[in-house]
Amino acid sequence: MRDRYGWGLIILHWLALMLIVAAFGLGQYLEDLPLSPTKLKLYSWHKWLGITVLLLLPLRMLLRALERLDHAQGLTPLEAQVSRLVHGMLYLLMLAVPLTGWLHSSAAGFPVVWLGILPLPDLVDKDKALAELFAELHRGGVNLLAILVLLHAAAAIYHHHVRRDGVLTRMAPWARKKT
Amino acid sequence: MMKMWRLPLLLLLALPAWAQEWKVDYGRSEVRFTIKQMNVPVDGGFGRFLVKADFEAGKPESGRFMVEVDMSSISTGSEEGDGEARRPAWFDVARHPKARFEARKVRRDGPGRFTLLGDLTLKGKSKPFTAALVLTPQKDGGWLAAGRFILKRNDFDIGGGEWADPSVVANEVDGRFRVMLQP
Repeated sequence: MRDRYGWGLIILHWLALMLIVAAFGLGQYLEDLPLSPTKLKLYSWHKWLGITVLLLLPLRMLLRALERLDHAQGLTPLEAQVSRLVHGMLYLLMLAVPLTGWLHSSAAGFPVVWLGILPLPDLVDKDKALAELFAELHRGGVNLLAILVLLHAAAAIYHHHVRRDGVLTRMAPWARKKT
Repeated sequence: MMKMWRLPLLLLLALPAWAQEWKVDYGRSEVRFTIKQMNVPVDGGFGRFLVKADFEAGKPESGRFMVEVDMSSISTGSEEGDGEARRPAWFDVARHPKARFEARKVRRDGPGRFTLLGDLTLKGKSKPFTAALVLTPQKDGGWLAAGRFILKRNDFDIGGGEWADPSVVANEVDGRFRVMLQP
């Protein structure tokens, strides 16, 4: 049994973190910004980041499905269950958050053009009530995602410093394993 | 020898038929535009406008066409955008409430296809302007006047200052209209 994930999965994991943190920061900053060219620019960047997370997700899920690491190693049955739940939710939200953002954009009448090059199809017709609904779902999903990311990071740090097992180093092989 | 009383009648028949002023069905007419923001096409339009179309069925070339748009009726796809579009940096609706296009010349390009050449007065500036026009006869004896035009917003100082950068909001605005003309 290997003691770390494959490099593909490791790169996709940390890349997703950077994309999500950047998109989250931009999203928070944009919310109350009055209309300006800067706002239009940042809004586009926010959408490009989110869509990139969405586009990378199938590849990541494929690599994860092929991964033969024993995720429950050294965990109690309850811990293994919580771990599965949190990881499942993280994957679900990486799908749901960009998707509700895209749906909101379509319903608001602003198509998404990825990187300013690739026009994505509108998922729904323009509809103000629907746009509001998707905005709420997007916000709710983002808040839940932020909480779960923090929980996930806290668990990794706990495993590394308290349990002193290989849970963190299998995703961050550069961190020295504590013995 | 021709009887003298017939002369005025013949003169009258020789004159071009009186051009007809068509009624506009505003419920089935629209003036819309698409403008790219960060390369994203965003649709907008004008809710209130006045059209005068005055031409003879077979000869639109000698007709008169005029459109006057109520600039405060603009919609840009978002409330935030509607407010911004009325401000001085964009259309300055308070000082320039109307835009007006009047064709000086109508050129026939093909069957039912024409080019309107005239002047557009927008935000206090008057400049030569052209629009493509397609006239399609309708069952009720009227016409569907549909067309397209390209407006370069910089020509009329629309969206200056911080908004001038065409990589954020494109310089070219893609306009289109559909006007239902009834007899």
